[in-house]
Amino acid sequence: MLHFDPYSPAVDADPFPYYKRLRDEAPCFWSEEAQMWVLSRYADIVSAGQDWRTYSSASGNLMTELPNRAGATLGTTDPPRHDRLRALVQYAFMKRNLEGLAEPIRAIAKRAAEDLRGETTFDFKDFSAKFTVRVLMAALGLPSGEEAIVDEDTVREKAVLMVQSDPRTRSKGPEHLAAFEWMRDYAAKVIAIRRAAPRNDLISNFASAEIDGDRLDEREVLLTTTTLIMAGVESLGGYMMMFAYNLASFPEAREAVVMNPEWLANAVEESLRFNTSAQRFRRRLMRDVELHGQTMIEGDFVCLAYGSANRDERQYPDPDRYDIARKPRGHLGFGGGVHACLGASIARIATKIAFEEFHKVVPNYSRVADQLPWMPSSTFRSPLALELAVHS
Amino acid sequence: MAKITYVDWGGRSTTVDVANGWSLMQGAVSNGVEGIVGECGGSCACATCHCYVDPERLAELPAPDDNELTMLDLAAAEVRPNSRLSCRINVSPTTEGLVVHLPETQG
Ligand code: HEM
Ligand code: FES
Repeated sequence: MLHFDPYSPAVDADPFPYYKRLRDEAPCFWSEEAQMWVLSRYADIVSAGQDWRTYSSASGNLMTELPNRAGATLGTTDPPRHDRLRALVQYAFMKRNLEGLAEPIRAIAKRAAEDLRGETTFDFKDFSAKFTVRVLMAALGLPSGEEAIVDEDTVREKAVLMVQSDPRTRSKGPEHLAAFEWMRDYAAKVIAIRRAAPRNDLISNFASAEIDGDRLDEREVLLTTTTLIMAGVESLGGYMMMFAYNLASFPEAREAVVMNPEWLANAVEESLRFNTSAQRFRRRLMRDVELHGQTMIEGDFVCLAYGSANRDERQYPDPDRYDIARKPRGHLGFGGGVHACLGASIARIATKIAFEEFHKVVPNYSRVADQLPWMPSSTFRSPLALELAVHS
Repeated sequence: MAKITYVDWGGRSTTVDVANGWSLMQGAVSNGVEGIVGECGGSCACATCHCYVDPERLAELPAPDDNELTMLDLAAAEVRPNSRLSCRINVSPTTEGLVVHLPETQG
């Protein structure tokens, strides 16, 4: 009997053997544990992503959804509302509009890297956490420095906690919900500050934006802002942990990008494919669908296992090999279709700059532990800590 | 499934089979056709999937909506009467054999 339990610690640690069996034996699989269908092949997941009329996000897109988010954020609305919301924020995240952020991002990376100078072992999280929170504060216009209303570590802790779920109860525990509420309250305070004295930043603009003459409703402003902070901090931080994990595990790849930093861009793409940090999202069917001999019924939830699509041998030859020269065409590390990641460009730019600066201070490193503590999450995958040993 | 031909700025042409329901942008990106970027993943929010559709066949395609037209204005290369965003055109049996030319740059 085939099982797939996205709540099990074994799947948090290493989902790939499960995915392979799903792709080969049951590409359209009903998971009792998750109470949803699981799609695992590249072509099926791309097709689902293209077809938002059938595969709706309006009932939530996180595998284990947070209360009240469905229908109120970018990731949890369908077109046409989704496209209009997205058009409001997309401009700030387009590659050509991010050039002004490159220098501030580099300064943040340099400072965070300097803090590591002289260390012989350290947890990479100390670097990635500091870096991501500061970058997101700069990108979204969250009050920072003198203006800050909370400390950086707390923002990062709450963002990481709110995406987790309890492996035992297969739902959000009280600590996860409390983190979500904390983040929502924080977002509400920031919105109030920016409304009282608007600046030229994303949140100020968003908080007063209109769609077709309608103001966005309060729930949309609040939950979209909350989600932007969560998605930004957790996704970027988690991804950087995975990238460092890959480079620490594959010395040849690390040496190549340290010697030739222009290789970082390729290595980033291959890492998004090989060790996808945003493993699984969900959709809900708006009609019955026949696929691979199964009938999925209108109203059923469907998991799109991006992490499996990215290891599908039908799309990527020798998929379990980490090959930074691969140029993985059309990988789903940022999802696909109308809900593809809003932050993809800033994530690419920030990661590249972060590792350029990190490698100037710490060019030679390896993993201390063989087994890592993996985050308990049905949606995301990354280690909670990554001890690195520095070599001369 | 339909055969779609992408011709890049230098004149090099690539023909691939694209599944029904996939966008022309997705067909290019999944098959490693360069010259279409698709930065926003197909949410009509980046204009880096700009293409020129064979003028003879333009009329067979559903017309662009307002969102697409607004976004097309932001395309980096010259916008022509047959310019479209390739993430807004879905492959179906009617697009069999469609030829699209790719612009000089996607910005
Ligand atoms: C490397 C880091 C990141 C990864 C791997 C990642 C991954 C993803 C994925 C897979 C999706 C698709 C979700 C779905 O299919 O339902 C997504 C959506 C999204 N991401 Fe990211 N993300 C990253 C960084 C960011 C950053 C930095 C931001 C914001 C500042 C962000 C904001 C969003 C938003 C708002 C959506 C929803 C977009 C929509 O539905 O239109 N992400 N991300
Ligand atoms: S892919 Fe972004 S507008 Fe088409």
